[in-house]
Amino acid sequence: MNTWTTHARVVLLTLVVALVGAACSSDDSTDTIAAPAGQETFTIGVSNNVVGNSWREQMICAIKAEAKARGNVDQVILLNRDTDTAGQISDITSLISQGVDAIILNPGDPEAFNAVIEEAVAQGIVVVVVDNGVTTDAAYLVSNDQVAYGELGARWLFEELGGQGNVAYMRGIDGVGADTDRDTGFQAALADFPGITIVSEVFTDWSPTTGAQQALEILTTKDIDGIWTSGIDYSVVEQFPVAGVDYVPIVGADNNAFIGQLLNTAGLTGVAITNPPSVGGAGAAVALDILEGKTVSKRTLLTPAAIVDKADLEAVYVEGLTEGWSSYMEIEPYTTYTSADVIACKGPGE
Amino acid sequence: MTAVNTTVEAKSAPTRSWRRWAQRHGWTVGIWMLLVFLVVWYSTLIPRFGGFQFSTIINGGTAWIFLAAAQAVVVIAGGLDLGVGGLLVLTSATAAQFMDGQPLAVAVVMAVVILIGSAILNGIVGWVVAVSKVPDIVVTLGSLYIYQGLALMMLPKVGGGSSDGFRWLFTGSATGIGTNPWPAVVMITVPIAVAAWWMGRTPSGLSLYAVGSDETAAFLSGVNAVRTKIVSYAVAGAFVAIAGFSTLAIAGVGNATTEGGTLTLNSVAAVVLGGVVLTGGAGSLVAVVPAALILFFFNPILSALGVNPNQAQVIQGVLLVFVMAIAGLIELRRRRRS
Repeated sequence: MNTWTTHARVVLLTLVVALVGAACSSDDSTDTIAAPAGQETFTIGVSNNVVGNSWREQMICAIKAEAKARGNVDQVILLNRDTDTAGQISDITSLISQGVDAIILNPGDPEAFNAVIEEAVAQGIVVVVVDNGVTTDAAYLVSNDQVAYGELGARWLFEELGGQGNVAYMRGIDGVGADTDRDTGFQAALADFPGITIVSEVFTDWSPTTGAQQALEILTTKDIDGIWTSGIDYSVVEQFPVAGVDYVPIVGADNNAFIGQLLNTAGLTGVAITNPPSVGGAGAAVALDILEGKTVSKRTLLTPAAIVDKADLEAVYVEGLTEGWSSYMEIEPYTTYTSADVIACKGPGE
Repeated sequence: MTAVNTTVEAKSAPTRSWRRWAQRHGWTVGIWMLLVFLVVWYSTLIPRFGGFQFSTIINGGTAWIFLAAAQAVVVIAGGLDLGVGGLLVLTSATAAQFMDGQPLAVAVVMAVVILIGSAILNGIVGWVVAVSKVPDIVVTLGSLYIYQGLALMMLPKVGGGSSDGFRWLFTGSATGIGTNPWPAVVMITVPIAVAAWWMGRTPSGLSLYAVGSDETAAFLSGVNAVRTKIVSYAVAGAFVAIAGFSTLAIAGVGNATTEGGTLTLNSVAAVVLGGVVLTGGAGSLVAVVPAALILFFFNPILSALGVNPNQAQVIQGVLLVFVMAIAGLIELRRRRRS
């Protein structure tokens, strides 16, 4: 009946496990790179709330690649998990507690993080919000210009059709900031082309499989002259041979698979509008610029580019890249890494 | 058991009472010591440990504590409630819908109404479990989905909000972030202390243990098993509502798309770590509180150690299985000896 000693043993053993876990992991974290003499080194914290999405994956790889390429970052602390608002707030507070110099954050909500961002800034931490914006002025914003994204592709398509024809409008997720902004741009372009009719408007929820099903239904039931997609592109292209109809001009994003189709499919014309996940790398570059004492604008909006010429498409296409990854990785003038660094996905000391 | 009694009686009285105390409270003391150790350890891993760090741990841990306490009450009474995570999402979504921008007095009245509603709703689930004889795991899996669906109907899009005064109650700050942990400490201590007293000192509370350890024996000694089960689920519902309020107070915005299932599993893990016997009849809220805090605390600690959160989950899982295995071994050895 010596329960007390057995209980004590349990607690001890638990501690041992915790300590062993600590010992194993602290080997990695203490593996810092030697900075040039006299140069200050920084620690960057990253908070991301969506895991298992290739766009977000590439965003994080770009942050790591930029931190490594700069040479003055000794550690990137990555808090990357599927979590709710309260969980992401707690992640940010633990980054603050760890004394990071900068936090790069893709926020899951435009307002809920204002207080914690202001607290971080009050404690002398540089906060850079990437991809999705927040309403507080305390944070720096680095994002793709989604209004321009919507308008650029729409104008190309309507001009390609000579201002006349039926268009399928395949959007993202209803109510999400980026989708709303893209719609603003799309409608602005549409207003200038009275001869264009939207015969079908669907939300793909940015899911390749959902988009494919919807495209098949549209192609087999409606007579269309062009398709605008909100980045669900390569799985839509695959439906033309399935439906047995000829290709029509299509607007997509800078997904490598789509660019491959534009290069290699006979009879297919289209445009790739850039929406690079490497906006994360640009965010890291902005954070480090601020830490190095440079003056940086509070809002950095990356203007999308339309890639349409064969030579340009070939220039960005990467053979054998993971499906769903963007081929457009280097963002002038912000990032200093090469595309190979992003693909390697290694941070400082890894 | 007679053999054990004679050996114990042969020893001096102080040793005997010490042993009894250690046997009853060993786990509780051990888990509190582990929490203190982890906090001290964490404070050496980060550059500074002050009011900000302390309050973020307490604030963030509040919802985990109440969700675990809810699960503990049901488990002690011999049940299992997989619905608690969904109910948390439902109560916080409902609060977000009605509390947005209200003065503190109005928010408190609404909180009381939601808390009672949550208790009644989960009490109904308890009633279904008690009278239908359908396994609790099945009924509450159903209630998990129902609650999650109701939450989405209540708050279809991310939105709503909390009241500034109400946020202060749970976070020590009207913005949800600050350096004052004491309001949250009070919000945790008072309900837990009242419930622990009720469960340990009153007939209705003790009947939870009676029903949990042996329903037939409890019935034969005059305990109304059906009523006790309903009460356990209702008390859990009330605790879950507090967890929901805390979640809303931290986030400041309601979100009905949060995965309730994950939250439920966290509560089960905390109950296991807190030494509550999963077959019912034994355990203490006083040990579940530090267990829940430890589980919440895992992410900050492991991230301070440079462990990726997804690897952290693996470590968390291994530790949990380990604790369970050790607890099982102790139980086995104890039975062999007696």
